[in-house]
Amino acid sequence: MGSPESKHLMKQLSETEPLWNAWQEWTKTNELLRETETLLNDPDPSMRSMASEEHADLQSQISDMVVNKFPSLVVPPSKTTHLSAIMELKAGVGGSESALFLSELLRMYIRLATLYRWKTNTIASNQTENGGIKDAIVEFVGERAYDTLRFESGVHRVQRVPATEANGRVHTSTVAAVVLPMPEDTGSETSDDLFTMDEIRIEVMRARGAGGQHVNKTESAVRLTHIPSGITVSMQDERSQHQNRRRAFQVLRARLMDRKLSQEVVERRDVRRNLVRSADRSEKIRTYNYAQDRVTDHRLGLSVKNLESILEGDSLQDLLDALAKKHQDDLLQEELEMT
Amino acid sequence: MPRISHLLSSLSSALGPASARLEFKWMKQAAEQSDKGTSLVEMVERRLCGEPLQYIIGTQPFGSLELLVRPPTLIPRPETEDWTLRLAELVDPSPDRPISLLDMCTGSGCIPLLLCHTWRPGSVNAYGVDISADAIKLARDNAERCGIHVPTVTYGHSSSSFNTFKPLLGNIRDASFIHSLKLKPPFNVITSNPPYITRREFKDLPPSVRDYEDHRALLGDPDISEDELSSHLDKGLTFYRIIARLIANQGILADDGIVALEIGSTQANDVGRIMQREGRLNRIDVWKDPWDKDRVVLARR
Ligand SMILES: C[S@@+](CC[C@H](N)C(=O)[O-])C[C@H]1O[C@@H](n2cnc3c(N)ncnc32)[C@H](O)[C@@H]1O
Repeated sequence: MGSPESKHLMKQLSETEPLWNAWQEWTKTNELLRETETLLNDPDPSMRSMASEEHADLQSQISDMVVNKFPSLVVPPSKTTHLSAIMELKAGVGGSESALFLSELLRMYIRLATLYRWKTNTIASNQTENGGIKDAIVEFVGERAYDTLRFESGVHRVQRVPATEANGRVHTSTVAAVVLPMPEDTGSETSDDLFTMDEIRIEVMRARGAGGQHVNKTESAVRLTHIPSGITVSMQDERSQHQNRRRAFQVLRARLMDRKLSQEVVERRDVRRNLVRSADRSEKIRTYNYAQDRVTDHRLGLSVKNLESILEGDSLQDLLDALAKKHQDDLLQEELEMT
Repeated sequence: MPRISHLLSSLSSALGPASARLEFKWMKQAAEQSDKGTSLVEMVERRLCGEPLQYIIGTQPFGSLELLVRPPTLIPRPETEDWTLRLAELVDPSPDRPISLLDMCTGSGCIPLLLCHTWRPGSVNAYGVDISADAIKLARDNAERCGIHVPTVTYGHSSSSFNTFKPLLGNIRDASFIHSLKLKPPFNVITSNPPYITRREFKDLPPSVRDYEDHRALLGDPDISEDELSSHLDKGLTFYRIIARLIANQGILADDGIVALEIGSTQANDVGRIMQREGRLNRIDVWKDPWDKDRVVLARR
């Protein structure tokens, strides 16, 4: 135990386990059904009536398996259950009000993380003077973090009277979220299946004059460019070059991983000539309406009363469950259309 | 109490808005974690007076280490961090054949500590020499903080199952220091970031360097007198000559040993020549820092 291979094997096993369990249950139930069938003609009348009751029961179990259980197992299991997540938040329209809302969303996700027992870590954040945040990058480390949070990608909209607004007019502001999958051990500067080191350009961002002993100002900002894709990552939140480089490599890996996963989805869909719309990150996904104390998720077409319970994380869990269910249903639909 | 936004805007006019925002954030985090109870306001005020951020916060990340920094010992620089990590990759000793390392002018101990931390356990015994008692105390505290063992005896090449670092108070200009500190040459690796700033440059240093960091850590020609100021002597090279002669005369470098010296960005040619002529090391390489300035002279036989 503990070697990378055995960990990998365990991961695969745990992913096929539901299928195996269902198969065992199916065979066992069928065996029982055959056994009870022989008892249906038993000379003893009380035995006969017991058997027919049981027979009906087993039959309804079997039909439930066919209608509900198996279809959900037909959908290929998620290959990303073990991945942690990186979330990038950016204030959109609405200026400082949008930055304030961003800090509230961030708090919401950090509370959610506690509920799921994920570790959180703010990689970068750009605060404004009045306590808002212009943009932030946060990692969520834990089982299913990516699978759970990926439905949060998109535009979040808030409608309320900003604290700074004197005449009480309702404003609409937005925050954009992008959730990226985070591969394991991601800060290292070594080539892997996502990139090779000669595809990476590393730049330090500010001039330092003579440098060395002559200067003791902290100049730790770093920018990475992945040359083939043109993806760039700038990092300046840490106090050393080395730390910023690690962070930047981490975010770069997450972005490249994200690109790889969405390419895989596109390829799969192209093969099937399926036109299911892929998630669009500029799409408005949710509205937080303070005046009506209501949160509407536009993909579910569902409104939840009690905005506070969403921001506290509990009701957000319910929304995320519903979104996961919807995703599962969409995949099944896709699978069925293919056959 | 001054308002936070007021502090931030004063900091902005002192440092520029981008640096101000970052430094403010770091001070805020430090204030929240401070066990001395230093307040954010106090920190920002000290910064506004020109004190280096690192002394205010009390630590500086260096590679994957977080080192203590205390005035007046020199704050480890990012250029030094960069080449130390590069040297760590270049040498990478094995515990089967442990090496010994001498770091002259060790200051906070940053160079040997990061090497000890990066290299496999049991592959290096390192020694650091500095003339400043403050520096030696700090280097010891840093060794403890980083979990690097400080031996009470001098090992030479003898092996143990972990890396060791021993900071020693001494003057490298006194050629007998090797002997009096009971060091056991030859060394496989000799590193140094000796003082290299010239008198002329010294006058124009930013106040956060000149007024807060030890002059002994900065001045490359400590003995130069005022009237020699504009002469050819004022090149900040005194310590490179001392190191070169030490290596030549006492044969303290192993045959396949390597010397890595940090330099000022205009000193590569001079230091290369000194190492060749006075240190009798033929193979010279120059490494650039991330800002594309000449930063290290590597010398081998
Ligand atoms: C530029 S600092 C380098 C400190 C540390 N190695 C670093 O890279 O951050 C130079 C150091 O040399 C020490 N030093 C100056 N003259 C010395 C001498 N004659 N013998 C030993 N150390 C000396 C100073 O005390 C100072 O700590």
